[in-house]
Amino acid sequence: MKNIPFKRLGLVAVLFLALQSHAWAHAFLDHADPKVGSIVTGSPAVVKAWFTQELEPAFSSLQVTDAQGREVDKKDMHLDDKDKKLMIVSLPPLTAGTYTVNWQAVSVDTHRTQGHFEFTVK
Amino acid sequence: MKKKNRFVVLKNGNHWLAVSGAMLAVAAVGVSKAQAHGFEGDYFFPPTIATDDPFATDELLLPSVSYLKSDGVTTTDTGFEFDKEIFPKFALGISGDYLYQKPDGQPSVSGWSDFAMSAKYQLWENAPHQAIFSVGAIWQIGGSGSKEVGASSANVFTPTIYYGKAFGDLPDTLSYARPFAITGTLGEDLPTSFEPNNLQWGFALEYSLPYLQTEVKDIGLPQPFSRMFPLVEFSFTSPENRDGGPTTGTINPGVLYESTYFQIGAEAIIPANRESGSHVGAVVQLEIFIDDILPKIFGHPLFFGK
Repeated sequence: MKNIPFKRLGLVAVLFLALQSHAWAHAFLDHADPKVGSIVTGSPAVVKAWFTQELEPAFSSLQVTDAQGREVDKKDMHLDDKDKKLMIVSLPPLTAGTYTVNWQAVSVDTHRTQGHFEFTVK
Repeated sequence: MKKKNRFVVLKNGNHWLAVSGAMLAVAAVGVSKAQAHGFEGDYFFPPTIATDDPFATDELLLPSVSYLKSDGVTTTDTGFEFDKEIFPKFALGISGDYLYQKPDGQPSVSGWSDFAMSAKYQLWENAPHQAIFSVGAIWQIGGSGSKEVGASSANVFTPTIYYGKAFGDLPDTLSYARPFAITGTLGEDLPTSFEPNNLQWGFALEYSLPYLQTEVKDIGLPQPFSRMFPLVEFSFTSPENRDGGPTTGTINPGVLYESTYFQIGAEAIIPANRESGSHVGAVVQLEIFIDDILPKIFGHPLFFGK
């Protein structure tokens, strides 16, 4: 087989790998606390959401709403001081019920992603 | 880019070899239009392998490698595709395949198949319902490839519609079905020669384990599974006239893995009927997320972008 295409592919692969060290990416939700879709006993004090990339706090958001769509968090979303991939928002004591966490994440390279998940307090 | 079935004749020294169109089409499924990052609402639609997806975004597929034996000919197809968003929601693309064909008992032949150019526009979207509809066209450039591997001298234009729908809007009672999504295409081959008109159609059914983990329920899947999309694709060509023969195609079960800067996918290529072949092949594809690697250059339109 002629190996010309594969030589060129090899050069592309090397370039690709070299660029990775200077690249940024979309920030996806990795995991959360309370866990996505979980049932928790007792009201959590905070919601934590870990992402795959460091975030721009000015353009990212984390909100918690109740079953009627009313925002119930303390509106103090911030990034963890030591981990810029971790968004945190505080909560008042919550009554039993299902709550929705709505998030928007803007990574440091300005890519934007969004999502939501639920957890239930019993 | 999705390729089409056609009957081709190979020349190898003084020997003319007939190769079924199904074999070439199957060998060419490794090159498919795929995009860097196609989102509708919360759902990320991954680039698919055997069928095209409905997003008009920057992407680089390099390489796609498929392997298949059919009618006594073993074909290795190494392909590429590059697409660039020119105006918001409108992209142009180019793709090509390098074929290495080894008939049983005969010397091999190799060369480029006809190159193809494409245009696509995202006509309608509904983010809350994770749905999208696009229109486009593919121009297979006649004479741009090597006759050694049966490239055609005829141009083929294929106007195409594309659709995608994820099921994140299902009710709570069906929450575990929310990670499902379907994407599909429907196109009509219009050759400039007396080759048959073909209906090109197919779809992909996928299940997003990342969506399950981050939108429905964290079931504790470890990596790499938490970044995988099991899927099955169906890709068919239905000749409509000029004794084009029966419908041929493949069924491709496989899995996609999403890393931060690339996606790698692998599928089996299973002939859908006897006319499509009798051997199972395979395809592996690397999609590079150029919008993440070079965000200043890619990930936004060339003109009138953000």
